[in-house]
Amino acid sequence: MTQQTLVRPAAASPQPPRPRRRPPSFRRQGGAAHVFLLPFLLGLVLITAVPLLASLYLSFTDYDLLHDPELVGLDNFRRMAEDERFWASVGVTLRYVLVSVPLQLAFALLLAVVLDKGMRGLALYRSAFYLPSLLGSSVAIAILWRQLFGHEGLINAVLGWFGIEGESWLQNPDTALSTLVVLNVWTFGSPMIIFLAGLRQIPEELYEAARVDGAGRLRQFSSVTMPLLTPIIFFNLVLQTIGAFQAFTQAHIISGGQGGPLDSTLFYTLYLYQQGFQSFNMGYASAMAWVLLVVIAVVTAGHFLLSKYWVFYGDER
Amino acid sequence: MRAGLRHAVMCVLVVLMIYPLIWMLVSSFKPSNLVLSEPGLIPSEVTFDNYRDGWNALDEPFSLFFLNSLFVSVGSIVGNLFSCSLAAYALARLEFRGRRLYFAITLVSVMLPLHVLVVPQYIFFSQLGMVNTYFPLLLPKFLATDAFFTFLMVQFIRTIPRELDAAAWVDGAGPFRIFWSVILPLMTPALVTSAIFTFIWTWNDFFTPLIYLTSTEMFTVPVALNSMMSSETSSGVGALFAMSLLSLLPVLVFFVTAQKYLIRGISTTGLK
Amino acid sequence: MDLVTRRRFLQLVGLGAGMTAVAACGGGSDGTAIRYAWWGDTIRQQKYTAAIEEFVKQNPGIEVRPEFADYDAFQERITVQTAGRDVPDVFWIPSPHVMSYHDAGLYRRLDDISSLDLSQFPAEQLELYKIDGELNTLPRSVLTAAVRYNQTFLDEAGAELPPDDPQHWTWSGLQEFLIDYARDAPPGRKAIHYNAQADLCFEAWLRQHGQDLWTADGRMGFEPAALEGWFEWWEVLRRAGAATSLSEQEGASPEWEVVGDKVLMTFGNSNHIADEAPMFPDYEFNLRMMPVLPDAAPGHRFGYLSRIAIYQGIDDDKLDAAGKLVNFNINDPGFLRIVGLSVGAPANPRMLQEAYAVANEDEKKMLAVVEQEMAEEQRPRYEAPPGSGTWRTIMIRGVEEVALERASVSEAAARVIAEIDRELGQAK
Repeated sequence: MTQQTLVRPAAASPQPPRPRRRPPSFRRQGGAAHVFLLPFLLGLVLITAVPLLASLYLSFTDYDLLHDPELVGLDNFRRMAEDERFWASVGVTLRYVLVSVPLQLAFALLLAVVLDKGMRGLALYRSAFYLPSLLGSSVAIAILWRQLFGHEGLINAVLGWFGIEGESWLQNPDTALSTLVVLNVWTFGSPMIIFLAGLRQIPEELYEAARVDGAGRLRQFSSVTMPLLTPIIFFNLVLQTIGAFQAFTQAHIISGGQGGPLDSTLFYTLYLYQQGFQSFNMGYASAMAWVLLVVIAVVTAGHFLLSKYWVFYGDER
Repeated sequence: MRAGLRHAVMCVLVVLMIYPLIWMLVSSFKPSNLVLSEPGLIPSEVTFDNYRDGWNALDEPFSLFFLNSLFVSVGSIVGNLFSCSLAAYALARLEFRGRRLYFAITLVSVMLPLHVLVVPQYIFFSQLGMVNTYFPLLLPKFLATDAFFTFLMVQFIRTIPRELDAAAWVDGAGPFRIFWSVILPLMTPALVTSAIFTFIWTWNDFFTPLIYLTSTEMFTVPVALNSMMSSETSSGVGALFAMSLLSLLPVLVFFVTAQKYLIRGISTTGLK
Repeated sequence: MDLVTRRRFLQLVGLGAGMTAVAACGGGSDGTAIRYAWWGDTIRQQKYTAAIEEFVKQNPGIEVRPEFADYDAFQERITVQTAGRDVPDVFWIPSPHVMSYHDAGLYRRLDDISSLDLSQFPAEQLELYKIDGELNTLPRSVLTAAVRYNQTFLDEAGAELPPDDPQHWTWSGLQEFLIDYARDAPPGRKAIHYNAQADLCFEAWLRQHGQDLWTADGRMGFEPAALEGWFEWWEVLRRAGAATSLSEQEGASPEWEVVGDKVLMTFGNSNHIADEAPMFPDYEFNLRMMPVLPDAAPGHRFGYLSRIAIYQGIDDDKLDAAGKLVNFNINDPGFLRIVGLSVGAPANPRMLQEAYAVANEDEKKMLAVVEQEMAEEQRPRYEAPPGSGTWRTIMIRGVEEVALERASVSEAAARVIAEIDRELGQAK
């Protein structure tokens, strides 16, 4: 494959001498590994595992936070199946994930590639594109977004120049979710930075070798950049998907915690939060959380399985 | 010509991207009651009142909240870089039983929504008497609970060829030495990225500080800002904007300076 | 390119350990330190913090640890604290959860604390205030339903509201007036906000129809027909172009700071004038009580009394200090002078008179309308039962359905009632 021929030359010369020590045995590396993992294991037990298991237990209970939890078996899950608003929130979240994640990543990748070339004022552009992410979860966003998409917002003002009279995009159940998609895309700074870091790690010699071989810009991109970037693309894809499934803050801020209008921005975790913190149905909320976890785990496992076909790691033996 | 066109397109894009921020900046200099009733870009009245009022909004100078946030953010960076790099190295490089399991658990812990874990975690910390301290906010960072960064570093380490490890091993280095002298320097972009994100995320984190920090002088910036935008009334919008913008500055400064390390990248000698 | 040398690494670890140790210190030691939790905006935070300082000055030896947050954040925090049995010693009670917290045993009885003087409250008022026969909360302030209108706009149009008497100040009379006003109003101006989600006003409507929002035994106290009538009253206005659309007012709950100058009138609570009038300093606003049905059921007037409580699990040696703090809150005119009237009129009848001395122009109007309302005959009202915490959001969804024409008035009303019923059923 062309990819391997491009990578091998730099690393394979000269041939390393035969190692004088034997490769480490499993047990040996296990010991070292657990020293490295000590903080992680402590954190796992104290901060993660116990609350994780507690919430699993709670999902089989009726717990209103004010009294002790009461076991109710599968009641919460049965309720979920019949709960209209639950299914509404599933629909909203799925639509959000399927639309905003690819859009955001495409933007981020595009701009990372453009900004990676030597351009004057590079640092300025990078910072400018990152600024929105800094503000993305701020309380002020609600006002800013109303300023853009509200009844008397900028978008409607611009539409007014063309004689189109607009209504508030935020108050229309058919368009409210789209404003949140735009918000997610607007805050593409984080994946962009990660793409930039990944681009930075691609050694210059590979591009030189490709140029020597006569490859043009586009060919360099497809043969050098993309393959070596795939682990990073994969990372961004997995984590942005997980993040989109869990999207909460922005919907909470913009809809005032309501998920409106008419539940059109009722994200799954927003509904979960309402059930747990407003209706005091913490058992039901925990059950919802575990359903979400299973779904995300399945989707992520899917990502990992598919990754064999398109992700290329430099440390493959 | 090509370069000029590219610059022009970039400029337009930048303006589109940061227009809301420009509007916020302009509005922060308008008297509070005009911010929303006169939403244009050209203010009819200019005032510094919002900055002055906002600075002392919660009876403490806002610099106190900056310092609190700074303490938490820097502490979190130290914690994350320390614990996540160690864990990532073990997961990416070392062979041992249970490696896949730990990796899977790492990922799973990212998948559970915060609101459900909050109550058991709060009970744990309040039993320890740690409420209204920064301990619940910092301890998790030193215990690699931000699996996002562990995963990020794992992915970066996996792009580093194993031949380098082998070469160091041949020279007599043990796992820690390899980690220290070979892997860590080469994953600088991942470290810098993690530092940037940790800083920004902890700087902007609202819910956890809200729950654990009860007295006003312990507040971090987002909690303080949230009190400025009451859900019952909407007074003080101007002050909210002013302080939000000011709180962007440290993050921006951090980002701009940290960028330099992203730029340096890997020197070619590292690979030969 | 070696960002981190080994020495630096160890330094960082040491720094981190040190930070964690420092982080573990924070709150301070115990003593007679009592925790006081309240909500509001920054202005209220400043005023109440100043009041606390005054209290501490008057009571050396008592330390008060304030726990302040915005209304929604306050509820989030106290929910978690409740689960962790870590509730502040003295705390304000958010209205949706009065009964839930009582059920959870959060309140301590208040009639046996020597430092807490209850003599200024009439005995019948205290009797009405008991929950399940126990006096475990005390009233902080009184809020009433009110109509707020823009006097400046009225003067501009040379118009006058229907006279404030039972023949003219009626629901249908007001409706006609508003439609009339909107017809001749300057472009961009409507007569009224679409405020069907205003809870106190809705309750006023229900009580006039002889029904209740909640019954004594914790159920819904109204029929679908009453809710439909309420929705229909608003729909007539909207269809006639007299009310702002949900789009124009940015939601079922109008954003006053954006559209306050687009309407002549708005429904709300009497205390809102204190915060909302100053947002449009060029206009003068006035308050009136709600319009009345010609055959309204007697005793329909009411005030909502917001509550304060002491945590059941408070240490006994802090009880005296807590009592003093609550006493300061509800009985001391000095307190009122510092904090003002943003939370509403004082519930203590004697303090109500003192309040006129500290009130500004707008607050005086609020006091007047509250006094007017409370002087009338009132039959009892009951607090929202456990499980009703989300009734306002359910109501808002119903309002959206109706105003966005996604459902008919009767469908939406039926759905609202069914959902509230279900939530009530799910609570213990």
